[in-house]
Amino acid sequence: MEFKDYYQILGVDKAASIPDIKKAYRKLARKYHPDISKEPDAALRMQEINEAKTVLTDPEKRAAYDQLGERYHAGQDFRPPPDWDAGFEYSGGGFEEFDLGEFSDFFANLFGHGGRTRSRAHHAYQMRGGDRHARIFVDLSDAFHGATRSVTLHVPQTDAQGYVSLQEHNLKVRIPKGIKEGQHIRLAGQGHPGIGGGEPGDLYLEVHFTPSPDYRVEGKDVFATLRVAPWEAALGAAIDVPTPSGQVHLKIPKGSQGGRKLRLKGRGIPGAEPGDLYFVLEVVLPPANTDKARQLYEAMARDMPFNPRQTR
Amino acid sequence: MAENNAVNGIVLDEASLTLEEFARACAVERQWVVERVESGMLGDGSHYVSQWRFTSRDLTRARRLRQMEYDFDAEPELAALVADLFEEVDHLRKRLRAAGIDTN
Repeated sequence: MEFKDYYQILGVDKAASIPDIKKAYRKLARKYHPDISKEPDAALRMQEINEAKTVLTDPEKRAAYDQLGERYHAGQDFRPPPDWDAGFEYSGGGFEEFDLGEFSDFFANLFGHGGRTRSRAHHAYQMRGGDRHARIFVDLSDAFHGATRSVTLHVPQTDAQGYVSLQEHNLKVRIPKGIKEGQHIRLAGQGHPGIGGGEPGDLYLEVHFTPSPDYRVEGKDVFATLRVAPWEAALGAAIDVPTPSGQVHLKIPKGSQGGRKLRLKGRGIPGAEPGDLYFVLEVVLPPANTDKARQLYEAMARDMPFNPRQTR
Repeated sequence: MAENNAVNGIVLDEASLTLEEFARACAVERQWVVERVESGMLGDGSHYVSQWRFTSRDLTRARRLRQMEYDFDAEPELAALVADLFEEVDHLRKRLRAAGIDTN
């Protein structure tokens, strides 16, 4: 495990005041905010700066961290010495106040100190575990047929010495048919464990669709581009096309143009009120790469009075 | 894949959250939610607290509000304005994607 220099992460010096730390944090939070940032490592950076702010704006945690930090520098291999924080008291208590899955191993080891949670358990103290949140990416076809997907969660675990580390926990989750982008699946009892025999919290999975080259989704409606030949668009045709719910025999109306939308009612995401599936036509020209093809184009140019700039 | 040991969940919106469940899921006090519903920043504007129910959209929005307030010490009204803008951007991005325009 590497030592993390929280001052360096926020770009502040060791004497920085809490308002200065908050100011530095906000500047970085704006840059790496997951809703707007296009930086490739935004999520990781946001985790780091959240952690750094959590420690450095809490006078008790900061004092304990500072004492430790005198002996380490960023990136150095690190294992907290036993009782590293002896003499420091945290009013907040152990890791139950954080969603440790959102923090690093380094943070979990320092501030998710098992000894403290054990000492709390001596009191008749009982608390329900906190709810957890995670995002899950599923394929669009899962929304049509239902599926089972694995989710990997980072769960804090305390070893025999009382150190906390984040362990991977795999959970198989049923994705119900009809799920839509942005919906949450609530898994009772899969959140943080309770304290002193309290009930565990719940896990909320926010569902997103893996981007697909074939389909786009808006709410419960699904959109796809359908490439057709000029004669299919002009003369009409009946063609077999794949859809997320299976192959359909689709009629292309004669006189269709590129960009025309064909709606297949009820063929979008299933549900009590299913969505629709839209095929957006794209007329693809065959290349004029043989003598025969060139002759056909020349015949059209000669025999068909057509100026595309004067239609519409 | 073994299907029999998979966990079944409940899809929010088919079953929505009560005020208590919602506050817990957002890691806030009940009063935090009440204040934001009463001032029109969250929920459907219903007057009867006992009838309040919260959906997936509310959950995403409330967690965003809380994060804004926490990260930037933002006034609730300002956090709500930012959340409104994010929702609008999300909506427009989805429409662009549906139209086949890459937003990245």
